[in-house]
Amino acid sequence: MLKKASIIVAMSLFALSAQAVDVPISGTVQSRCVITTDTPGTYGNPNAYTLTTSASDGGVQPIVRYDVTLADAYYAQITTPTSFSTSPSLNDTVSWTGSTEVSSVSDATNMAGYESAKTVSGQTTQFDLTATGSTWFKSTSVATNGGNKAFPGGNYSATIEAVCVAK
Amino acid sequence: MLKRLLLGALVGFLPSYCYSDNIAPYYGTTGNAAQSGLSWSMKDVLPAPPGLDINGVFYRYTPNKNTADDMKVHVQNERANGTGYVFRDTEDWSGHPGGIEVRKVIGIGDIPREAWGNGSIEVEGTGTVDDATVIYSYKVDPCYDPQFSPSCPGYKTPIPDIPTVNLDDLYDATKDEYVNLNDEEKLSIEENEERLAEEEEKEKAEAEEKKRKYRLEKLMSISDAAALFAETQIIEQMNGIMQDQLNNTYLAATIPGGQYKETIRLVDAKLPENKAGLRNGLAQQILHEKMVSQQYK
Repeated sequence: MLKKASIIVAMSLFALSAQAVDVPISGTVQSRCVITTDTPGTYGNPNAYTLTTSASDGGVQPIVRYDVTLADAYYAQITTPTSFSTSPSLNDTVSWTGSTEVSSVSDATNMAGYESAKTVSGQTTQFDLTATGSTWFKSTSVATNGGNKAFPGGNYSATIEAVCVAK
Repeated sequence: MLKRLLLGALVGFLPSYCYSDNIAPYYGTTGNAAQSGLSWSMKDVLPAPPGLDINGVFYRYTPNKNTADDMKVHVQNERANGTGYVFRDTEDWSGHPGGIEVRKVIGIGDIPREAWGNGSIEVEGTGTVDDATVIYSYKVDPCYDPQFSPSCPGYKTPIPDIPTVNLDDLYDATKDEYVNLNDEEKLSIEENEERLAEEEEKEKAEAEEKKRKYRLEKLMSISDAAALFAETQIIEQMNGIMQDQLNNTYLAATIPGGQYKETIRLVDAKLPENKAGLRNGLAQQILHEKMVSQQYK
């Protein structure tokens, strides 16, 4: 009787272990907001202590494009630089200013209001992407060396951060 | 399974093979139609080849306006027959600031060039448009006219159009009353015509004679062949008769098998000369020598 009970228990355990199956679930989310660099920027050097992307000072304004395929689902957040990513050893503190504005739209009727509705917080500008289509944003970045000291000679580069934030 | 894969591969390759036999359509884009102003003629914008279909329009411009002003901008093409628009896209800038560029790419199902009338950017309200660009993308089917290439479907080998000319209508200077010839020249022409007529008659006669001779030779050769054939037939018949006669001289006999032993035995040790034979042989020799010597006389 004990033997029979042991067998039954063993069979039950075996049956339980055979029914435990892991079923995987996978999925892919396609981004509905794609960011592309349209035009890389260039710093102009109007005087010894200023670097600027302003076209009137010999610079090139960087332009970034947002392609959105889902309306009213994202914010575009663009932050102008607050430091150089590469530069020679600096001899003073650098002060930074920057701004971003709408450059072009693919749907004027629904996107032309982006500029007037934007919000600015420090170096970051946020746009409410309420319509589907493409929007081009252009930024201006100005770096001024402290005490109007001349920037040391060498190569300087900085980065604009553009992100798509889901609402 | 392998067969299925091979069949699949064959079916997969078949369309590309067929496609390569024909001339494929090609695509292109125009220059800026709004380069010289806000209205344009499509004849000046589109390239020349027939079989061109427009499949897209790209445009961009920057409105110049006050935010409070109402302004609509239409980028459009009239229908070629003047009834409405074949393409029209409108942006409403009312209440929006100017200075923001609009860039649009609009896909259009292939619309033949014949349907496209004049194009324009029309401003409705207060404001202007700066830095306008309008570019059309198109597709050209070279085989729109099947005669473009022998590779085009429906191509027909052209038959040259040979005009019919009435020889009597051709200009003949000798019959032109306005051509002034003196008597000597006229006589020369008449003599020349007579000589040409005589030569023509002579050539005709020679050709007829040649034909006659040829026919005669042909006829004779045919009769000779018939006679030769008949003679050959007779000889063959004679040969056949002679062969039959020869065949009759043979008897059908059965030769018994076994060994045939020599039955004649020579009893004498020496055979004497046959004198009669010797005489006969001598006479034959003399005659032979006479015959030989006769040829040297």
